[in-house]
Amino acid sequence: MAVLQTNKLEKHFDGVYAIDGLSIEVPKAAITSIIGPNGSGKTTLINVLSGMLDIDGGSIVLDGIRLSRFKSHEIPMYGLTRTFQEVRLFNQMTVLDNILVVLTERNVFSALFERHSNLHFMRTEELLKKINLWEKRNELAGNLSYGQRKLIEIARALAMEAQIYLLDEPFAGLFPEMLKVVVDIVKELKTRGKTVVLIEHNMDLIRELSDYVFVMDSGKLLADGKPNEVLNKREVIEAYLGE
Amino acid sequence: MDLIMQFIINSLIAGATYTLVTLGFNLVYGATKFVNMFHGVLAAVGGYTVFFFTQTIGIDLWVSIIVGIIGAGLVGFLADRFIFSTLRIKKASNLVMFIASLGAFIVLQAVLAMVFTSQFQSIVHSVDSPRVYEIGSAAITHIQLLIIITALFSSFGLVLLLRFTMFGKAVKAISDDEEVAKIIGIDTNKIIGYVFFIGSAIAGIAGILIGFDTGIQPTMGLAILLEGATASIIGGIGNLYGGIAGSFLLGFVENFGIWKIPSEWKGAITFSVLIIFLIFRPQGIFKK
Repeated sequence: MAVLQTNKLEKHFDGVYAIDGLSIEVPKAAITSIIGPNGSGKTTLINVLSGMLDIDGGSIVLDGIRLSRFKSHEIPMYGLTRTFQEVRLFNQMTVLDNILVVLTERNVFSALFERHSNLHFMRTEELLKKINLWEKRNELAGNLSYGQRKLIEIARALAMEAQIYLLDEPFAGLFPEMLKVVVDIVKELKTRGKTVVLIEHNMDLIRELSDYVFVMDSGKLLADGKPNEVLNKREVIEAYLGE
Repeated sequence: MDLIMQFIINSLIAGATYTLVTLGFNLVYGATKFVNMFHGVLAAVGGYTVFFFTQTIGIDLWVSIIVGIIGAGLVGFLADRFIFSTLRIKKASNLVMFIASLGAFIVLQAVLAMVFTSQFQSIVHSVDSPRVYEIGSAAITHIQLLIIITALFSSFGLVLLLRFTMFGKAVKAISDDEEVAKIIGIDTNKIIGYVFFIGSAIAGIAGILIGFDTGIQPTMGLAILLEGATASIIGGIGNLYGGIAGSFLLGFVENFGIWKIPSEWKGAITFSVLIIFLIFRPQGIFKK
């Protein structure tokens, strides 16, 4: 069953189509990878799905709800969250606050007077321990290494308690021990019935983790199916691997 | 020695006045990243609201002061809703936002002049001399003392709000990366609206106190804004603590600067300090 669908989705920049009539169905409670050469429209797709870019045509169906225009801040209401290819944290805030801010009261008036509850702190501690960064909780996020910052971004996504996780190159630039932490998190999300959409270039990880693969090229769907079927297709090898 | 004491007191009064301007100015800049010229005229709005309610309608002074503060906050909030928020949605550049705020400043200043005339006016009827406290041979009026106390409480209150409440964390998140703040579910437009209200209300407090101390004029906003913006840049624009430090530094430099030279040079001293900072430490005292 599809939890996320795009129907003839279009996004263009100054006449150049980054997404060109894309129709895909992302299966629920599974790990789906989106692969394709640079410039194929993968990150644009994530930006559109997360409301950071407006749609120029087509529609998105999120858990049965058809959306043609929505605002980024409403995305968590639909149970969707994301990470970024280039890590984006709140650099002037501590590691602890980077997670706590996710647990912020959404009602502005309440937020004016309320402080975080023990439950918030306990949840934050649990997440930071999961990524082995509890000891760094009082440091400014901007002062940490790239890998550590990448882990915090993933912990922040976990704090969102979403149903769909869009992870843009979550393994890029990680040391082996950090990479294992992220792999375990992705697997755990699946066992908890969450939907994970990965953009990734590491073919070994795609084969290991993915239940389904979409291949994009020039904003269009080139192929889709089980990893072993898709990655052996001639047109995929030609387009993606350049062989 | 007595003269030095008076200079210190004058510096503290100036520093406190600038602090009241920089608090709101930096708060709005931190969340929106544009230099909001409109902030200056909000001080005049605060002053004129109290003037209107006490002198024209004859309402109790304390009630008028509260109306003045809320009124300035509301005008700032509405300006955001109708002008700046619309421009943000259209992804207008900071230069466009700056020009729009300058335009809104001039329009509102002209409205104030049409309604209340361009004359210099006093908020209070009273012909009594202000109460004066003596510290040695130096003196401070009760309004000036109130300016210092209000600046301290406003700074303390705002720091507490930003540091310990969920609202404060949301503001900091927006200040750091507005797009990511949206992704985690923060309604940035709404939060920025509240930031405008709080910042503008503090500007209103500044205008009311300045009005009690020296009087009001529709053009008072520009001078206040320039001093406040200078203090903000010196301290580190967008940084609350920097703004407070910059305000007091500017207050001391200005007042001790006119010790040996005529007071007409006060403005020149202010902008010389600004230029020195822009050349040698453009990021200000508190920014890395």
